[in-house]
Amino acid sequence: MGSELERSFVQQLQENQNLIHKICRLYTDGEDAHKDLFQEITIQLWKAFPQFRGDSKFTTWAYRVGLNTAITLYRKKTKSINTIEFDGKLHKIDQDEYNYEEEEHIKLLYQAVQQLNDIEKALVFMYLEDKDYSEIAETLGISEVNARVKMNRIKGKLKTILNP
Amino acid sequence: MEELDLLKKDWKRNENKFPRVSEQEIYAMLHKNSTSVVKWIFLISIFEFAFFLALTLLLNDNTGTTKMESYLNDYTMIAITIIDYGIMVYFFCQFYINYKKITTTDKVKNLMSSILKTRKSVSNYIFVKISFIVILLIAMFILYFNNEPEMISTRHIAEEKGKVAMLYLVYFAAVTISVAVFAGMVWLFYRLIYGLLLKRLRKNYNELKKIDF
Repeated sequence: MGSELERSFVQQLQENQNLIHKICRLYTDGEDAHKDLFQEITIQLWKAFPQFRGDSKFTTWAYRVGLNTAITLYRKKTKSINTIEFDGKLHKIDQDEYNYEEEEHIKLLYQAVQQLNDIEKALVFMYLEDKDYSEIAETLGISEVNARVKMNRIKGKLKTILNP
Repeated sequence: MEELDLLKKDWKRNENKFPRVSEQEIYAMLHKNSTSVVKWIFLISIFEFAFFLALTLLLNDNTGTTKMESYLNDYTMIAITIIDYGIMVYFFCQFYINYKKITTTDKVKNLMSSILKTRKSVSNYIFVKISFIVILLIAMFILYFNNEPEMISTRHIAEEKGKVAMLYLVYFAAVTISVAVFAGMVWLFYRLIYGLLLKRLRKNYNELKKIDF
């Protein structure tokens, strides 16, 4: 059953699987949901693979399919968003002082990002992946200027979540 | 230091700390079923087309319709049938063309818009089909009122008692209510199915539109 194609796909995916894990990290908040989304992205990539011609890099192509799946196609099975939000609030209570450990700070940052909406997460994801604004704009289908404006707003929003 | 750059540092540091998924596991995943929204929309849409096709075939065969047919001439019946199947074929083609345009390698915004368009073509179909059924129903009731011997004799009795206006009122009120209930139920049913399915997609699409005003 197209085993040559299948083998080449599985191999490339295996090598580049971190990319999918990273998308899952931002869009899910538990081990089960992570695995679930990972599987759905894998299925969507496989379905789109025959159209992948190799004129772009496997990763660039996979970014698109992965983000499209996370934002548009994927259906969350359980909603556990509330617990995260609650957690975030709990942490905020004892953060009167501005000096906490870096690790703690990063944990809070992740929680803040989790509170963003799906589109904002996509922008953050691509920013973290060192994509430039033209690529972010191209992937999402918006203009570069607007991508830049939105990114600045997200930075502001994260600041407010962290320092209410 | 910028919050996000701090996060980026950590993001890069932990890049390789995810549990590895083996090739065997990936192979296994390829043969699992997708749970994507598009798949559900596709399945439900096919079901909708099938349902209305079945309804058309069933209605052709029931005694009520045969009775109605006797009031109409052959040409009218043929015209109705042609319109009925014409609507179906036209919308099915539209649905199929739109469905084919859905591709995960498209821009996020385009993908969303093609999914919503596909959905729109099916809901347009439902809307046209329901309107068609409602018009036929109303026509049927009017024909029944004017042609059915039982109805005519009831009307004569009412005329003798001077209560024709009352009869008209009751009859048409009953028709309106039953048609409204039928249409309302179908509408509610669709709101429920697609409301659930498309809620998140719509929300994200509006969010993107808001950015790119």
